[in-house]
Amino acid sequence: MKLMYKRAVSVLVLAALLVFGLFVFTIRYISSGENWVQYPVNQHLYKNGELINAGEITDRNGEILARTVDEERKFNDDRLIRTAVMHAIGDINGNVSTGAQVIYRKKLSGWDLLNGVYRFDVLRTTGMDIALTLDAELCAVAYQAMNGRKGTVGVMNYKTGEVLCMVSLPSFDPSDPPDVNLDLGSYEGVYLNRLLSVSYTPGSVFKLVTAAAAIEKLSDIDSRIFSCDGFMEISGVRVTCPSKHGDITFEEALADSCNVTFAQITLELSGTILQDYAERAGITASVGFDGIRTKAGNVDCINAEGADLAWAGIGQYTDMVNPFQFLTYMGAIANGGVLVSPHILSDNGLLSRIAVAISKNRIMPGSTAEHLTYLMRNNVVSNYGEQSYGGLELCAKSGTGEVGGGRAPNAWFAGFLNREDCPLAFVVVIENGGSGSAAAGPVAAKVLQAAVNRLTGGQ
Amino acid sequence: MENAIESVKQLIGELGLWLDKLNGLISDSMALLEKTRAVYTLIIRWVFPLLACYIFVRCALPLLHEGKRSGAWGYLGLENGVKYPLMHWENSIGRGNLSDVRIDFPEISRSHAVLSYRRGGWRIFDLNSKGGIEVNGGKIDHSAKIKDGDTISLAGIALTKLPSDIDFSADPGKKTFLSKLAYLGRHISSGITLFLIILFQILGMLQLCFAMSADFNIAVPVSILSLLILECLYFILTRRRGGKYTELELFAFFLCGFSLFVVSSGAPNQLYKQLTAVVVGVTAFSVLKGLIGNLNRARKLKYVLAVCGLGLLAFNLLFGEYRFGAKNWISLGFMSFQPSEFVKVSFVLAGAASLDRLLTTKNLTKFILLSGACLCALILMRDLGTALIFFVTFLVIAFMRSGDIKTIAIISGGALLGAVAAIFIMPYIAARFEAWGHVWAYADTSGYQQTRTMIYAASGGLLGLGGGNGYLINIAAADTDLVFGVLCEEWGLLTAITVTLIIAFLALFTVLITAKCRSSFYAIIACGAATVFLFQTALNVLGSVDLLPLTGVTYPFVSNGGSSMISSWCLLAFIKSADERRRPDIEDIICEELDNLNYDPGEDWMM
Repeated sequence: MKLMYKRAVSVLVLAALLVFGLFVFTIRYISSGENWVQYPVNQHLYKNGELINAGEITDRNGEILARTVDEERKFNDDRLIRTAVMHAIGDINGNVSTGAQVIYRKKLSGWDLLNGVYRFDVLRTTGMDIALTLDAELCAVAYQAMNGRKGTVGVMNYKTGEVLCMVSLPSFDPSDPPDVNLDLGSYEGVYLNRLLSVSYTPGSVFKLVTAAAAIEKLSDIDSRIFSCDGFMEISGVRVTCPSKHGDITFEEALADSCNVTFAQITLELSGTILQDYAERAGITASVGFDGIRTKAGNVDCINAEGADLAWAGIGQYTDMVNPFQFLTYMGAIANGGVLVSPHILSDNGLLSRIAVAISKNRIMPGSTAEHLTYLMRNNVVSNYGEQSYGGLELCAKSGTGEVGGGRAPNAWFAGFLNREDCPLAFVVVIENGGSGSAAAGPVAAKVLQAAVNRLTGGQ
Repeated sequence: MENAIESVKQLIGELGLWLDKLNGLISDSMALLEKTRAVYTLIIRWVFPLLACYIFVRCALPLLHEGKRSGAWGYLGLENGVKYPLMHWENSIGRGNLSDVRIDFPEISRSHAVLSYRRGGWRIFDLNSKGGIEVNGGKIDHSAKIKDGDTISLAGIALTKLPSDIDFSADPGKKTFLSKLAYLGRHISSGITLFLIILFQILGMLQLCFAMSADFNIAVPVSILSLLILECLYFILTRRRGGKYTELELFAFFLCGFSLFVVSSGAPNQLYKQLTAVVVGVTAFSVLKGLIGNLNRARKLKYVLAVCGLGLLAFNLLFGEYRFGAKNWISLGFMSFQPSEFVKVSFVLAGAASLDRLLTTKNLTKFILLSGACLCALILMRDLGTALIFFVTFLVIAFMRSGDIKTIAIISGGALLGAVAAIFIMPYIAARFEAWGHVWAYADTSGYQQTRTMIYAASGGLLGLGGGNGYLINIAAADTDLVFGVLCEEWGLLTAITVTLIIAFLALFTVLITAKCRSSFYAIIACGAATVFLFQTALNVLGSVDLLPLTGVTYPFVSNGGSSMISSWCLLAFIKSADERRRPDIEDIICEELDNLNYDPGEDWMM
């Protein structure tokens, strides 16, 4: 019978297969279970593909932006706020891939390994709720200021990295979603958060990158006088200015956005250096924060020559910039060259304070940042008009990104407030909005005034 | 007159008020019920996994414990005083390493003889040895009876049969991990284990009743309570008959409880059918155990069974109907069943029956022919999962019988080639496997069932959402093919794993008892049955979660399905009849002797 016993061990091989399979399944269950439950056919969480059972999303002031009531997902009571934060929160079907309902759905679903999706009604836990750093009212102000034009507004605190305002147009009321296919023109790219997921031709705002390189590489830049005849011919190709600036200093050239001067500076710097400064500024990389990734921008100066390189130095050629990334660059200049990683999840715990402390990253020397701050302040005082931005201590640069095809250029306006009590960086882009400071400036003014009022407790 | 009308009006008014009150009371109590139900689930979902694990341990330890197993049953003594103990019902004698009695003389063949304890006495069988066997000086032809004191001469080497020690001194043995574990099981009372199982099933029933408050179905409590009565009845009857271990059956009853839970939440109108299947299964278990308790009877059964099995399959091929892509159902009008489930039982028995003594028959031809016929029929029926189970069972039984790895390797290789050829000839087979390993890419087509199983299994977490609170059960065939997912979602991953480990444990138990079987016949049917259980569970569980291809086989004892339930109980009878871990006491021997005189006292077929 010993023989039988030995041979019976073949059965144990099968038993081992079963136990091993069970083991592998358990490992997979532990590592991927949270993804499995998120499949939108899961009737515990979804109904007709719509997320119905999830935690609350609130803004920095506790304003409820989304919650589940009686198996139905409800958004804010105010239609304007709903529409303004639609891209930040996401729509009911999860079409906005960077929306909080998509990015944070694991936490929102309240799934955990022990309990699965089980929830005891009376003892509802707050473990599945999330608070954002956004200020919903400020978003509403920004949405209104855009007045229906396509584009985006972003505001962040450059000392803490909190994103206060994130608005993208076109948008819609998520409680009453339209059939976007009926009007493809006005709903063009409606599910894209233009602050995060789009990159635009930057136009003159890119001159800040070129200026940063010039400050560090050309030691006599402040004392030089450039000459602008309204155009410049480089191997038969023209770089033009809207008007003839005549003899002009570096400071005046940035304020008046003189293309000819910056073309000369760019050619003097060489493509390699400009590329290096664009990469240091982070233009070509994607920004990752709180599970969100922005669209990366684009600069190819290394092999560009002549007019191409000159145009690249003034934000045309193949240059593309993501507005959110540029917002963080503005924040870094304002913060003395130190970039604080942005975040949108509001968490005032010790861990997040530590995270903010260690996520600081110097991207330029303090002297360069100071110099740029001085230049950007001069832009406002000498060109954009201090009276439009009274009391804000605004430092800014406008941009008019030519898009070709007979369409009006994209209007950019980016900068920051040089104030200790309101350390805010901002970016405004209006698609085909026309001239940068004229179109985007007033939007920035309205939003920043509202932001300052809300931060300082009104006036 | 006016007075009367007035009082009637008043009465009606009163009645209306009373009705309003009653209405309020009802809605109050409904709210209370709602709250009670929520609180009940909150607490009970912690109880189920813990209780399930405890029941598992309580059943497993006594099974590992060797109970009244004696030491040596007798000895063979050499002239120089060396004594070889006889430890088994069947003892192989020879020079080979794996002989139970290993006598290392060059004259003795590797497998020389078998000494069996049969019908109250010992008998020696010659295994065509070169040297031959003499008993008390007379050469034997095939076999001979041996009494204590007889001299057996193997190729000239004389051995004396000595009686066993009086005190049955326990085998000191090695203290392995298993034996230490088993030692813990020596005082565990089966009665309390049964009580815990009943408690588990009552708590489960309450959970199911709470969960369906809206459309309450009386069949749920009735069928589960009936199962409890059946369990108690079986336990009492077994005890009356002096039964030894009932843990094996307790395991099965515990699993049957889950079967009723699953059917309750999925198809409550099939509960009575499923309950009937359990009753028929338990009866079949008892009858079959009695039938094969007698070796001669079992050997006679094999031809009948083989013919019946093939007949059933042939009938199925001719008159069967397709369900879920396989032609494996026969409808008799009033009921329908899956013949392949029953063929499984006869296949295992027929496979083992042609071998009644250790190492005597090495000829596998008949068995290979039977297996080939069964496999062909199943493939024609497009029931690939069952065909695979048959094939693996065939391999295990063939190996147990012959130990011939070469032949088995050839057969496996041939089968592999055949499978590859089949995939080329019949593309629908390949189509069935296209999703395997990456079901999420086919989430709404051929990976539909597997992805749903994983989605809902993960939704349940370790503790589950509570019976009747799941959604997976609404997917087609969830109560059979995806039953593991249903257990995960409603009763928790921990409970589902425990339930699966029960099957794995049954296999471990079977292997441990093979050395102590009355005959290698029992060892082989038990291992065959364990193989079917194991492989079927592996295909079901691992198939539903995409670790193996989904083949649509049932989970023994747990899946919804009458044929599967009955055949599971029949296979359990095979394991039970191998569980013979003590020397028969004198009454048993008399029983066997009487049996030998063609007198059947209606012996212990219940236990």
